[in-house]
Amino acid sequence: MEMMEEPKYRIPEKGVTVWRIYGVLQVIIFAALAGIATFFTYKFEGPVVISIIAWALVAIALIILVFVFPTIRYRVWRYEVREQEIEIQSGLFVVTRTLIPMVRVQHVDTGQGPILKKYGLSNISISSAATVHTIPFLETQEADALRARISELARVAEDDV
Amino acid sequence: MSKYKLHPISAAIEALKSLKSLIVPGIILIAANGFNFTVDFRDEDFWGSMFSFLILLVIFLFTTVAGILKWLTFRYWFEEGELRVQYGLIVKKKRYILFDRIQSLNYKEGVFHRLFGLVQVTVETAASTDGKPEASLTAIKRVAADQIEKEMNQAKYGEITQDDDMLITPKSRKVYKMSAKDLILLATTSSGVGVVVFGVLAVVSQFAEYIPYDWIYDELAYLVKYSVIIVIALILMGMLAAWIISIALTLLNYYDFTVVEENKRLVITRGLLEKKRIAIPLNRVQAIKIVENPLRQPFGLASVQLESAGGGFEEGKSSKIVLFPLISKKAAVAPFEELFPQFDFEVQSFIQSPKRAKPFFYRLDFLWIAPLTAVLTYFFFPYGLLVLLLAIPMVAWGKWQHKAAAVQQAEQQLTIVSRTFSRVTFYVQKNRIQAMEQRQSFFQKRRDIASLKVTVMSGMHGATAIAYHMDQSEIESLMEWYRHTKKAAIEQDPILE
Repeated sequence: MEMMEEPKYRIPEKGVTVWRIYGVLQVIIFAALAGIATFFTYKFEGPVVISIIAWALVAIALIILVFVFPTIRYRVWRYEVREQEIEIQSGLFVVTRTLIPMVRVQHVDTGQGPILKKYGLSNISISSAATVHTIPFLETQEADALRARISELARVAEDDV
Repeated sequence: MSKYKLHPISAAIEALKSLKSLIVPGIILIAANGFNFTVDFRDEDFWGSMFSFLILLVIFLFTTVAGILKWLTFRYWFEEGELRVQYGLIVKKKRYILFDRIQSLNYKEGVFHRLFGLVQVTVETAASTDGKPEASLTAIKRVAADQIEKEMNQAKYGEITQDDDMLITPKSRKVYKMSAKDLILLATTSSGVGVVVFGVLAVVSQFAEYIPYDWIYDELAYLVKYSVIIVIALILMGMLAAWIISIALTLLNYYDFTVVEENKRLVITRGLLEKKRIAIPLNRVQAIKIVENPLRQPFGLASVQLESAGGGFEEGKSSKIVLFPLISKKAAVAPFEELFPQFDFEVQSFIQSPKRAKPFFYRLDFLWIAPLTAVLTYFFFPYGLLVLLLAIPMVAWGKWQHKAAAVQQAEQQLTIVSRTFSRVTFYVQKNRIQAMEQRQSFFQKRRDIASLKVTVMSGMHGATAIAYHMDQSEIESLMEWYRHTKKAAIEQDPILE
């Protein structure tokens, strides 16, 4: 059996930047927690080891969440919209490949938060009767076009049974 | 056009319902106050400790008044082939439901209902996939419920519909009725035992702060001095009590369990104190699950569940519906194939999870056993090393799961077998699968192994089945089977310009 071909399209490289920003935000939360831990160990004269461990964990989180994970995610992420189906590949440790037939698509939304807006990106989310799938960080214009295209294809798709 | 009201008792039922939902917060409040609130109003702590109860009382009164108002203003009537419902004092809520769109009318009779010969009617439509019914009539007379059903059937089948064969099918046919022997067998082998035990543990851990442990510990130490056996006996008695409770619950819930087929719908009735009746249109059934609990599997017994697109017995929960609570696997085949002719229930030639996939079923467990052993060994050397013994049951369990894991596809049908504790066989048709996922970790990839997840509609989040750790090429060919675009078309299909 030959290997399945990967879906054709990658998400824009700007997406990596957005993932890194999300990572930074998470690290800030961890840093705040580590700060609190340090404050209390200082105040109650606890062992210094605790704050050292806390900050070491923050450093590790920084490396993983800001540098490693976004790169892996970007490398794995692929999508393709075909006439009869949508195929998405995503993942980090586990690579997930999802098939959503056009006939099962109920609606398509695009959305953007403040960070995405700044970069001119949008997420597309595709809903079936039981599941929601997201293709993240597409150029807003492209996302809108794709949304229109998917809803058009979903409308004309016919059941095969 | 005559408009109908609900039975007055529905106001009381609504009030009781809100009272019931306040029990847990009430208990928590009492516990949070450390059981030392005062009922003496001259005490200066009185108002402080009563404040939280006052809030509860206000909430209760408010919901009661709301219930009464709802009853006072609630009207339903039939007009232009629709069931119309209206209620509300200031803001009038109206809901018109086309009879044609109604998937099923479900009945529920609580103790209160039965005292007054009433039923609760909930209306399911295709839109009510989130587990919430489209409309709910809290309490009406039996006759009134029958009238709704009559009006609906008149509107639906009065004129000739496209589904002519609906009229030809026999009006109603008994599919299954649970015998007293089966009921007792069901109750005694139900894995509800575990659920109840865990429930007790959960409650205990919730309130752990408020249990006078010091006292208990002294008492226990005292007991231990005399004999460990007493402690063990206490634990066993506790489990026995839990078991008896679960038997009683099962008996109450599944008493007089009957399945009837009528007008292409399955009508399931059950319950002793609280009677429930639910109707599922056969064409709303998304997938079928045969669950073999390890206690029952040796006897060839299983329970059969349906994943349906409509709501189940419990509002808001996933729409898992028990079709046969306990049936011999062999005896189930005949009624099955009659109800669901599109399915093949005697699937042969399953493809097993390959031998090299075996370690994947227990490998991840070492991720938590290893650090646990390390920590415990550090503190309690050498006894901490005993934790390593946990690996033996873990590996055995994994091997047991591996033995069960299998998948089979033929024509439109996909069958997935998996086990956590019970062995679950999941039957689904291609056109009911909402999405299909191939999952593969780095380690799986090295061994050419992959897992497959299918999702069908059921309640709010859908129901899933996973074929764990199968041969990669097998999973890929299943993905290919599900793929709607044929291979040749993929190569020349640039959708995005």
